[in-house]
Amino acid sequence: MIQLTIDNALVEVSEGTTVLQAAALLGIEIPTMCYLEGHSCHPTCMVCMVKDAEKGNFFPSCAMPATEGMKIIATSEEVSEIRRDALELLMSDHVGDCEAPCTLTCPAGMDIPLMNRLIARGEFEKSLEIVREEIALPLILGYICPAPCEKACRRKPIDGAVSICLLKRFTAQDTKRRNSTLLPNITKTGKKIAIIGTGPAGLSAAFYLLRSGHECTLFDKNEMPGGSMRYDIPEEKLPREMMDAEIDGIRLMGAIFKLNQPISPDFFENEIIPKFDAVILATGNRNKQAVEDFGLDVNSGHDIANKKTFKTSRPGVFACGNIIREHEMAVRASAQGRIAANEVDIYLKTHSREKKFHFNSTFGHLTKSEQEEYLKESYISNPVEPDGGFIAGFNSEQAIAEAKRCLHCDCRKPKSCKLRIYSDQYGVNRKKHLGPERKSLTKSVHHNLIVYEPEKCIRCGLCVEISTKQESLGLTYVGRGFDVRISVPFNETIAEALKKTAADCVNACPTGAMGFKEADERMK
Amino acid sequence: MTPTPEHIIQIVNQIVAKRGTSVDTAIPILQDIQQEFNYLPEEALKQVCKTTEIMPARITGISTFYTQFRHQPAGKHIIRVCTGTACHVKGATRVFDAIARELKLTSGQETDADGLFTLETVACLGCCTLAPVIKIDEITYGHILPEKVGEIMQDFLSKNLNTNHKQATSRITNSKSLGEIRIGLGSCCVASGSEEVKLELEKVLNESKINVSVKQVGCVGVCNQVPIMEILKPGQEPAFYTKIKPEEVKEVVLSHFQPTGFFNKLRNSFVSSFEKVVVDGEPKSFRKYTSDQRDTPISEFLGPQMAIASENRGVVKPCDIEEYKAGGGFSALQKCIGELSPQQVVDEIAKSGLRGRGGAGFPTGRKWQMVKDQINKEKYIICNGDEGDPGAFMDRMLLESYPFRVIEGMLIAGYATGAQQGIYYIRAEYPLAVKRIKEALQICKENGLIGNTVLNSSFTFHIRVFEGAGAFVCGEETALIASIEGGRGIPRMRPPYPAVEGLWGKPTLVNNTETFSLVSWIFRHGADAFANTGTAGSKGTKVFALAGKVNRGGLIEVPMGITLRQIVEEIGGGIANDRKFKAVQIGGPSGGCIPASNYDLPIDFEELAKVGAMMGSGGLIVLDDTDCMVDIAHYFLSFTQDQSCGRCTFCRIGTTRMLELLEKIRNGKGRSEDITHLEKIAESTRQGSLCGLGKTAPNPVLSTLRYFREEYEAHINGKCPSGKCLPLITYNITDDCIGCTKCAQRCPSDAIAFKPYEIHVIDLEKCIKCDICRQVCTVDAVKVM
Repeated sequence: MIQLTIDNALVEVSEGTTVLQAAALLGIEIPTMCYLEGHSCHPTCMVCMVKDAEKGNFFPSCAMPATEGMKIIATSEEVSEIRRDALELLMSDHVGDCEAPCTLTCPAGMDIPLMNRLIARGEFEKSLEIVREEIALPLILGYICPAPCEKACRRKPIDGAVSICLLKRFTAQDTKRRNSTLLPNITKTGKKIAIIGTGPAGLSAAFYLLRSGHECTLFDKNEMPGGSMRYDIPEEKLPREMMDAEIDGIRLMGAIFKLNQPISPDFFENEIIPKFDAVILATGNRNKQAVEDFGLDVNSGHDIANKKTFKTSRPGVFACGNIIREHEMAVRASAQGRIAANEVDIYLKTHSREKKFHFNSTFGHLTKSEQEEYLKESYISNPVEPDGGFIAGFNSEQAIAEAKRCLHCDCRKPKSCKLRIYSDQYGVNRKKHLGPERKSLTKSVHHNLIVYEPEKCIRCGLCVEISTKQESLGLTYVGRGFDVRISVPFNETIAEALKKTAADCVNACPTGAMGFKEADERMK
Repeated sequence: MTPTPEHIIQIVNQIVAKRGTSVDTAIPILQDIQQEFNYLPEEALKQVCKTTEIMPARITGISTFYTQFRHQPAGKHIIRVCTGTACHVKGATRVFDAIARELKLTSGQETDADGLFTLETVACLGCCTLAPVIKIDEITYGHILPEKVGEIMQDFLSKNLNTNHKQATSRITNSKSLGEIRIGLGSCCVASGSEEVKLELEKVLNESKINVSVKQVGCVGVCNQVPIMEILKPGQEPAFYTKIKPEEVKEVVLSHFQPTGFFNKLRNSFVSSFEKVVVDGEPKSFRKYTSDQRDTPISEFLGPQMAIASENRGVVKPCDIEEYKAGGGFSALQKCIGELSPQQVVDEIAKSGLRGRGGAGFPTGRKWQMVKDQINKEKYIICNGDEGDPGAFMDRMLLESYPFRVIEGMLIAGYATGAQQGIYYIRAEYPLAVKRIKEALQICKENGLIGNTVLNSSFTFHIRVFEGAGAFVCGEETALIASIEGGRGIPRMRPPYPAVEGLWGKPTLVNNTETFSLVSWIFRHGADAFANTGTAGSKGTKVFALAGKVNRGGLIEVPMGITLRQIVEEIGGGIANDRKFKAVQIGGPSGGCIPASNYDLPIDFEELAKVGAMMGSGGLIVLDDTDCMVDIAHYFLSFTQDQSCGRCTFCRIGTTRMLELLEKIRNGKGRSEDITHLEKIAESTRQGSLCGLGKTAPNPVLSTLRYFREEYEAHINGKCPSGKCLPLITYNITDDCIGCTKCAQRCPSDAIAFKPYEIHVIDLEKCIKCDICRQVCTVDAVKVM
């Protein structure tokens, strides 16, 4: 047996154990990308670096055998820095988007490409569920959203953006579909939440709080719910029966509406604060009165709530929507309602914080040749115009046809890509080492199971090892140095190369370079 | 003409029949295919996969890894422009550009429209003293001026037409020889024209019926004075004739020997010339020195040197085993096998203090001990002759000139460590070294020195040659092993060290060529004698390739501890053209620059490391005040970046990003934060790379930043102080212009209007800064600003 210390903790391991494995025994997590248990270890990514405290040098822990008396530093600023260096260098050569530009532009961060693909496949119920992960009011927003996503759509300069807004509305257009899927299995928490205001922020907060199992009471000074949507937006833009239908859904979920109820300071202090476990202020107007009426302090940025958590100076009181910043889009207010709802959950300890990636790889505009590459995965067709115009919206056939125009700009592994996970974890600045010109992005779509995007590859070689063991052709390295790439021998197609091992290669691939064509969409 | 599929299949089948079908034959098979078709037709590769164990993935992987392999048909003739360090500082880029213009190649195009010439670069041709150098097929041209490339290509074509008729004769007489004439025929000597001198000499002797033996000796080392002819006549001091030309031979010979009618002529066909050379721009007149003369360039050059690896240089004929034995050759092996136990042999090496000459300086005795201690019966010895550094050619010289000495060193190592198999890994770019080693190995076999019973003992040792396929990274021992095993030359993590798990997973001793060549001397003179030379930590001698801006360049062997000043001033004869010494670049792409302030630095492993350089394999390039340090850093980094295997992140991307930053700075587009950014990536690449190539790649950058930071800053401010970096300079014609129109006639980009008797003007928009106008100007009126 060999004894060594890692981060000053002593561990005993058998001969042949690597430093990485020894660290795992101690519960010390070391990031790895090219390393995969059961495969030959040939360090390439260099993110598993640790430091030898005695010799002072760094080495990849995945390939270093533990030796007697080693003193390893696996956790220190210096070690993090060299790991970050490796990640930042990899990022400088990584041409790919974690999220599609439409998703990134959407104030709610809706997974638009996935919605599109589900619509294209006719899985409308699933598509509505994807929409509702971020957007509580798809029907209403389907009329009034200014759709910044469509301005960012990569299809726009080719032959016109995908009609994302209409597609989103389409998912919620059918009453039965809309109302039968409102409440998935939930457990009641017994907690009571008061929501002041029934505009997009308040309704959205209510939707998600109800889904969390809380009891929600919505107060509004007006006789009808909807706030600015009802009182500021003309009927010809937003048909009232549509709005009412979607609000009815919230009522169906169990929301209690207390209308014609202006909130005086007294009412707030006596009827709301003591009787509810948490309060969300979503009154829509930001004025001095609002601040004073609710007894809030403004922070150093003259805001009444933290911009990320929407917490106010009073414990248990949250504020979102136009009350914190006026003249915002309804979609943004709705997004804030959702986040505030999650913050209430965290406050009440009924849920943990949602895991969100802060890190996003982006690469900018598509060149002409890249547009061709992207079109490989899409339908060549002009935008579909709804027969009855915008207000009428799409029928199913039209929705499918339009959804098929989506270019699949999003990564196939946005949640499992190790490059993104570690970049997020190590606070990577993706632009730090950007070279003067980026590589031109390509997509290989010949295989019926997988898509290969070489410019996302980190050259770990796992797919080469896996494929050459079982395939007669397999994958290979081509070239050397900076230009080395993973390709198919003799310019054959990837379909020829991976007849048996395509799925294994996708599962082993640490990035989105290899992904399933039809991924299990919820697992991405 | 494209070969037919049938023809390809037939040839491949023949090659496979000869080479075998196992995976490790992949590289030799590809080399044979390329030899046949001058590129690798895809059909041929497919046929190899069909008939051998080599899979498509492997054959694609290796055929695209090594630079030797070509996937497109090449032109009828191949022009290789040497981009070694010495050639670089003497303008190789402009030579390349000039040839590309002459061939009307567009960017990225390698072969001209007629398919006559293919233009390539080569890391180093090892003729640093003739820089800049190009090689067309087997003919080497030195001292190339960009404006002369057209003439050179014409010259080549005319020579090439006549080449088939060239048949030289050699004479052997059985009468008493009147003396001996020695001519160096190392690659570098040949490259300077010694072959033609020799042919002329044979002719003169034949015609004049003078009976003198002509001896072809290995590299003389005095590359700056080549071709050299040494005349030995009983009763006279030996006389050296330097820089001799064929047309001068007759006069020289007749001044020493009287023509005679007494001869017995035996016709003998002469070994057909291996390489032929034309040197442009060399001084016409030869110079004569006798060996008793003091202060001759030769005596000064040789004075401070000490020959161990290059013992008997300029005296012995490379493949003459009797002569090698007469000089004590193989007595060391005899002594080891006959008198010493393997452990005693290892102890003796350890006692000598010998450290590996490949660059890192690992104690050789300890390495041998590690291999010896392995219980595994199957062990290998590899001689690393994959010398790929630009500006280093000592391994080549040793292999070419002293093949037996290197073989003897390996045999002793085999005896000491208990190995039975040896491999010479030699760059394919060194054809003469390969040929000489193969020839020497054959002779050794015939003489019972290699085989089942070496020197009639129970010691068994077999040796073969493996030709590297062009990858600098294969100088790294684990990459070299991967290459022999038939894979891509990718270094792997150490440990396990090759001494424990090397070739085919067996204990393997990898030593550099120079290391092996020192072994025999140690046993003949004793470990103490070796240890008494050099410094406390670095014993013995080191061979360097001295080149660049010195008066006398060449291969030198000096005791460790000699100062830089002694090397440059005494051996090198100071800086050429009355320029000022600026720095020495030592250790090639892994090394660093040592500035004038460290002129008195004693050269050994430790001292070099202290100043941020390293021994490397021994390239020593002298730089003067016209050399730009940013350009030098860029030059070396572009080499390592190009040679990176591409495996680990830091080397693959780190060196690329560094190079881009250097390019930006060199182009005058840099900002001051780029310097700190460059430093930062350099540091993490040094710390984070997996193998020595990546770890040392930042050295040229870090060391120039350390000593010449102000030059980087000047570039940031839009100035190249040495006038080297093209984007920062302009060409102008002064009032001294006499209107001779030469520049206008030669300007390849029509940037100078033809105006007889008027002062010419350069159109800066059209000027491509090829330097031709400055070279052709007879009154020095073209100035670089």
